[in-house]
Amino acid sequence: MALLRYSPDSDPVTNLLTLQSDLERFLRNPAYQLGVSGFGGFPPVNIFDTGDGVAVIAEIPGIEPKSISVSGQGHTLTIKGERRRETSTEASGYHRRERSFGEFSRSLQLPEQLDLDKAAATYDAGMLTVKVPKAEAAKPRQIAVQPA
Amino acid sequence: MTEQEISTKEKQPVQGQEKTRAGRFFLPEVDIEELSDSLKLWADMPGVKQSDVEVTLDGGILTIVGTVSTGAYQKLAPLYTEYNVGNYFRQFELNEDIDDQRIKASMRDGVLELTLPKSERARPRRIEVNAR
Repeated sequence: MALLRYSPDSDPVTNLLTLQSDLERFLRNPAYQLGVSGFGGFPPVNIFDTGDGVAVIAEIPGIEPKSISVSGQGHTLTIKGERRRETSTEASGYHRRERSFGEFSRSLQLPEQLDLDKAAATYDAGMLTVKVPKAEAAKPRQIAVQPA
Repeated sequence: MTEQEISTKEKQPVQGQEKTRAGRFFLPEVDIEELSDSLKLWADMPGVKQSDVEVTLDGGILTIVGTVSTGAYQKLAPLYTEYNVGNYFRQFELNEDIDDQRIKASMRDGVLELTLPKSERARPRRIEVNAR
């Protein structure tokens, strides 16, 4: 990261935003990766709010559904597996080799109000979806108002 | 940091000419192997179903288009995202003579597998050397 001389003329908001993006870039840099669960780990995940819980959707193309293991412990969701290269018997050469293979394991920390015991996972077209519902205790409830 | 064999590469958007079809397009990662009688190609297109992939070979240009339906995302509010969801597009100019009648394509778990058999003319052949 380059050191820039502070100039009082520049807009403080822009300065802050620049600092923010510098920090984000720093954190996303693979050399400073904060463990395997950081950005850039495999599989990449998107997390969505479904209203009654969250859906963790991971892109894991070309894997046997049997060989994916999804487990929960406490508030940690772990996705594990191995991606194997299709066997080719007599290839005489490669023109492209861009896809990556190997073992992977990724753990995500989920908020406390989710119930990992009731999580359900599906695998379709190379997408793994893990739905984790909200814990009963965290659901909104109506409190009846009694006449005094 | 513990050692991990796989890492995630950021999806590359398709550069170049604009498509008439709306939506974002990304380059699928591919492997291409050369066999003596054919070419094999695999393309990673997670989220693309078998019915939503289109493979064409026209004038030696192989085109792969995979469409991702985003309908399931309509009701979801993103909390944290690491990858973009979009369609896939990639083109290759084939140097080899391909027998386009016998091309085989299959889609499984988000991976397209293509077998492109070489036409008789393009196959390597052994020429017998006879004694004079």
